[in-house]
Amino acid sequence: MNKRLAFVGLIFAAHAGLAVSEVQQPVPAAQPASQSAFVAADRLESLASLSKDSLARRKLDIQDWKTAEGARVLFVEAHELPMFDLRLTFAAGSSRDGDVPGLALLTNAMLNEGIPGKDVTAIAEGFEGLGADFSNGTYRDMALVSLRSLSMPDKREPALALFGQVLGQPTFPEESLVRIRNQLLAGFEQQQQNPAKLASHDLFRQLYGTHPYNHPSDGTPESVPGIGIKQMQDFYARAYAAGNVVIALVGDLDRQEAEAIAAQVSSSLPKGPALPPLPEPAKPVAERHRIEFPSQQTHLLFAQLGITRADPDYAALFLGNQILGGGGFGTRLMEEVREKRGLTYGIYSGFTPMAAKGPFMINLQTRADQSEGTLELVRQLVRDYLEQGPTQAELERNKREIAGSFPLSMASNADIADQLGSIGFYNLPLTFLEDFMAQIQTLTVQQVKDALNRHLSANDFVIVSAGPTVDQQPLPPPSDKPIEEPIGVPEH
Amino acid sequence: MIRPIRYSVALLLTAICLPGQAATNVEQRTHEFTLDNGLKVVVREDHRAPVVVSQLWYKVGSSFETSGLTGLSHMLEHMMFKGSKKLGPGEASRILRELGAEENAFTGADFTAYYQVLARDRLPVAFELEADRMTGLSLPPDEFKREHEVVTEERRLRTDDRPSALAFERFESLAYPSSGYRNPTIGWPSDLQRMTIDDARTWYQSWYAPNNATLVVVGDVQLADVRNLAEHYFGPLQRRTIPVAKQPLELNEAGERRLTLHVRTQLPSLLMAFNVPSLATVKDAHQANALRLLSALLDGGYSARLSTNLERGEELVSQVSAWYDAYTRGDTLFVIGASPNVQKNHTLAEVEAGIWRELDALRQKPPTQQELERVRAQVIAGLVYERDSITQQASSIGRMETVGLSWRLMDQELQALEAVTPEDIQAAANTFFTRSRMTLAHVLPLESKPNE
Repeated sequence: MNKRLAFVGLIFAAHAGLAVSEVQQPVPAAQPASQSAFVAADRLESLASLSKDSLARRKLDIQDWKTAEGARVLFVEAHELPMFDLRLTFAAGSSRDGDVPGLALLTNAMLNEGIPGKDVTAIAEGFEGLGADFSNGTYRDMALVSLRSLSMPDKREPALALFGQVLGQPTFPEESLVRIRNQLLAGFEQQQQNPAKLASHDLFRQLYGTHPYNHPSDGTPESVPGIGIKQMQDFYARAYAAGNVVIALVGDLDRQEAEAIAAQVSSSLPKGPALPPLPEPAKPVAERHRIEFPSQQTHLLFAQLGITRADPDYAALFLGNQILGGGGFGTRLMEEVREKRGLTYGIYSGFTPMAAKGPFMINLQTRADQSEGTLELVRQLVRDYLEQGPTQAELERNKREIAGSFPLSMASNADIADQLGSIGFYNLPLTFLEDFMAQIQTLTVQQVKDALNRHLSANDFVIVSAGPTVDQQPLPPPSDKPIEEPIGVPEH
Repeated sequence: MIRPIRYSVALLLTAICLPGQAATNVEQRTHEFTLDNGLKVVVREDHRAPVVVSQLWYKVGSSFETSGLTGLSHMLEHMMFKGSKKLGPGEASRILRELGAEENAFTGADFTAYYQVLARDRLPVAFELEADRMTGLSLPPDEFKREHEVVTEERRLRTDDRPSALAFERFESLAYPSSGYRNPTIGWPSDLQRMTIDDARTWYQSWYAPNNATLVVVGDVQLADVRNLAEHYFGPLQRRTIPVAKQPLELNEAGERRLTLHVRTQLPSLLMAFNVPSLATVKDAHQANALRLLSALLDGGYSARLSTNLERGEELVSQVSAWYDAYTRGDTLFVIGASPNVQKNHTLAEVEAGIWRELDALRQKPPTQQELERVRAQVIAGLVYERDSITQQASSIGRMETVGLSWRLMDQELQALEAVTPEDIQAAANTFFTRSRMTLAHVLPLESKPNE
């Protein structure tokens, strides 16, 4: 996100081509085991000899404090690499747009377009000449402003000084606004060719009605042309206030240096309190919407309201979703739709817990002439899952998976900065990760089933499809795979 | 999306002394050894967290495919998850998932690679699974049939329904007149349709062998342990005779090629490419390094020339980018892509002229030392940032080894880039930015297509 375009979303044709020239496939779904646990362990000596001790993981010593201006700081020292990451998370996402969709994103995008004495090119030259990466971005809940820099003082100090000016003294130059507005408008035109985007926008409209999550963070072709400098300055003064930010720091710094950096950043921001919490959305009407689009595949999106980040059911729902369609692979949905029937390249489900209730969503693409049958198949799979709940074996397998992947979630400085940002922004306890992992391990089949049914119903889906209207074919019969059995990974 | 500057520095990440400070504050060692059966193993220690990545890179990809068989390397990649001697279809993935591992595979023009990221104690499982499918793949016909459907959906998803990808596929088929780099990795639709399981079996038997692969391990491991595990699991596999794979070489000056494409897009765009050597094919590495710096001068950040002059200065384009991939086994391309700023009523012809103004400026005048220093500062910092991810480190090592360059070359990269002078850059611009090396595509909305 070094460059404007990355977040404007105009991913250029040729770049996309370059990126996909390495054709990547998601991990194919795990088949149900045709053998019992012990047989699998017999055939794989590495599996049989795995230690039963619990896994080592990086110990995170999270330090936290508040700055004089009221900003919450979370810090992890990591001296192995001579670099650091500074990430500011403001409650300044597009849910704060009010009746001007796109205001939050434009304000965020304009921060590095001008400061007293420096235009956009001079700012970019300043960061890049130090080898520092400045980045910014806007989502529904939050706006991010980040700096990654080398930690030696001759690089760190000038990079931080420039970062402080960008945060604290943006001049919002008119000519930049015109340019960025035009880029956004070009992006909207480009989106007209993207059925997945069209479907997603429509889905959020249906799901959220009048709630501030209802529109895309980019804004709309109607709203963006009218946004002016004054509106951005007002938004900046409220939403970029020191009381409305969480500062995450990870890297080659000691506590004293970290405190100095946090104090400098915090004092450069406008003074002010946190913005009030968002309202909760009303329950949407469960309807089917069709978008006619001349593609070969049909995009299918299913959604209903999910949970907030603070919901006590989060762990149970996370585990429940892992079994249904989370993480992509080896799930019920992937198994039935891709592996047994070859209907799709991938199908995924997930809760997105947010400040207000975020969506629970299932998405896939499939050949247009079998899309209606696929839609019914997915609906039935969810219905069965909610009625029956997971099996004991599914529960155990997925508990082990979550425990096994835990060490991977904090392997890099970038991973840790993500975790700190999230803990700080959603006001979670510093022990959140450990608590969450422990809670997962205690869950029973009944608890997971109950939690799923408290929040989801097979009849409540808002469904959006984007694709061509064509004659429908029946689905192929599923391959006759044996049913799932427990597998041979030793318990931890 | 890969940013060009990141791309150009992606492979610069081994232990070198940076001005003023070492690249890491702790020692990070890299080792290599080769098993008797020819499997090369590169081990890089990174003890920051108790995790490890294992990547197995095969020297085969879509540029190896002959006419009628495009897409075969990628199809075989899918079939590698469908069972081997010790394992049923999908079973390896099921086991890895339960261990909490990340796993995946990717196919490119020069390589097919498989990887697992997992807690360090579980590395033996990754080795056992990879070793089993290196020579003992099952290739069951019913699985092939279903997976063929999945790949067909993948082509629809990634190429046919994505106008920009479709345009780039057509563009590359013209930009590479003589080498296998013209093949789309996913395969031409006609080739996908007639692909058989026997094609996949033959491909597997030809290319999958320990002596045609590189195993890269990066993470919280010790050399002795990895060596023992590699010997134990991969050691018993038999060496095979591998077909001779010649470097994909291109005509230097095939003549100016122009292409007009109408795709389902709202906005027009332009693709421009020049046939150039890679680090593996160039006679004097200096020239390839000059090309890398040229791509950084043009598009190595928001302050680079294309953004500053064309996007913000003249407001001629709404987006523009340039990149050069030096790490290919054969001759490669220097590519520039742009979309006109239609809000300002600019046309593709004006964009084309604007890009040529920038290229001509580089041909006529060397960059200033100051500008070059800024570009190099990003490269130096990139060396450090790359090390934050074990996966990126492993990918860089694997890619380099697979295209015929040694990972040890990385040790000299910074010096190699430092040795490039402003005059070298000007000379490279003059050699390579010529009409006779150029392919140009105008990508236009369907609505603008004339009736024929």
